[in-house]
Amino acid sequence: MGNASILLVDNRKAIIESFRKSFSEIEVKHTLFSAANENEAWSMLDGSQKLSPVPKIILIDVNRTKNKGIQFLNAIRNHTDLKSILVFVITDSETEINKAAALNLNIAGYIPMSFESQTLNSFVSVLNEYWNIIEFSSQK
Amino acid sequence: MNQKLVNILLVEDDEVDVMNVKRAFSKNNIMNTLFVAGNGVEALEMLENHIIPLPKIIILDINMPKMNGIEFLKIMRENEKLKNISVFVMTTSNEDSDKINAYNLNVAGYILKPLSFEKFLTSVATLKNFWQLCEL
Amino acid sequence: MKEAEDKCQQELAALKKEFEEFVYIVSHDIKSPMRAISNITTWIEEDLGTVENQEVLANLSLLKNRVNRMENMMNGLLELSRVDRVELEFYEVNISKMMANSIALFETNSNVEFTLNTTLINENCVTLGAKLQKVILSVLDNAVRFHDKENRKVGVEVVETESDYEIKVSDNGPGIPEQVASKIFSIFYTVNSKDVVDTTGAGLAISCKIMKLVGGKIKYTAGINNGSIFTLIWPKIIILKN
Repeated sequence: MGNASILLVDNRKAIIESFRKSFSEIEVKHTLFSAANENEAWSMLDGSQKLSPVPKIILIDVNRTKNKGIQFLNAIRNHTDLKSILVFVITDSETEINKAAALNLNIAGYIPMSFESQTLNSFVSVLNEYWNIIEFSSQK
Repeated sequence: MNQKLVNILLVEDDEVDVMNVKRAFSKNNIMNTLFVAGNGVEALEMLENHIIPLPKIIILDINMPKMNGIEFLKIMRENEKLKNISVFVMTTSNEDSDKINAYNLNVAGYILKPLSFEKFLTSVATLKNFWQLCEL
Repeated sequence: MKEAEDKCQQELAALKKEFEEFVYIVSHDIKSPMRAISNITTWIEEDLGTVENQEVLANLSLLKNRVNRMENMMNGLLELSRVDRVELEFYEVNISKMMANSIALFETNSNVEFTLNTTLINENCVTLGAKLQKVILSVLDNAVRFHDKENRKVGVEVVETESDYEIKVSDNGPGIPEQVASKIFSIFYTVNSKDVVDTTGAGLAISCKIMKLVGGKIKYTAGINNGSIFTLIWPKIIILKN
């Protein structure tokens, strides 16, 4: 257990808002940060907007941005300080174009979901419970 | 949601802890087939020699004789056929070094074995909910 | 002469290291069979179902309680063995804030009235923050936990001297009988039977070791009208003997 910050990468403002609302309703204690695209996300992990401490969890839909999502994950996995981040792929895409590629990069979970508020809340609730039973290292 | 039940491999040397998992699975109605290996060497043998069907989930202890969990994990991640299996560490070790090594080898979660069975039941229930959410 | 002294120092260092490793292994490896006892007890309870013999259930419950106690003692030992090995980072601490935050942690759960008085010129100090926090929480926990009155009061006073911070925690509890006052810093010693107050008695031993580590002091004095006063003398400058 412990507090981890979570970085959500999605180019839809509405989705990010839905997540924030859900996190608040479920009373998730982990801090949620958001990035509108992979570039912004990277700068929050290792660039000019670097978050401190570095997020321990990333939520991303790799099916939305063609290959950018997978390239982003690749870069993370090849980075000494970032490679241990837990990545959860959250997707509402019918087509699972990048599922195999994501699984090859050892993501923690590939989660098909719907972003309607009731269903989103139940997803976030399960994820939150999971994040509460796992341990994180105390590295910064 | 995906109803097909995946195989689970438990890598654990302690007899009572194996009973713990089996009992907690049963109480939580987890019907997946559970295979057991007593340590890293045994687990690799089972996996590499096709003695068991390939599991999608591995529950891994760290402190084991012959080959510990981290060593096993290293070898597994270098094997083309095995490297994508989801690994959940379940251990008594609260050492930061073990957590760091485990996450560097991309485990999906690191869980401390609680003292009480009741707490363990809840953790397994949470795991079950999480597994049902994911498509493996 | 110098040679003999050096040899002595070396032996002492080796002995210390061996002791700490021993404590770590003992408290760490024993946890497995302990957990087994606790779990198997639960299974027996469950498998018995509804039983006529209430004594059997009571005994199983007692068994689990004692195993829990063992675990707490193991954790206490483990923590004691690690005092001079972990959390040795120096960072800036605001003494007033730390006191206020520590008190806040207890305010929600207990019917205790806290008072805090600080007379500080230098509120900020670069020190072993984690260790200081640990000692303060330990002493506060005792003040809150060992109480025999409806109106519980705990007073915290911090005074700054040239070389240290003097932190006094006083309570209006039952105090500590004079005959046993010297024993309270021993590990696992509890004034009351552990059946009466469920605590392992490791807090003060750990605090005492921390104070030794930083070159400070912790002492107990009886309060006026019974009650206890614990005084911590925390040095501003800490030199670790590494």
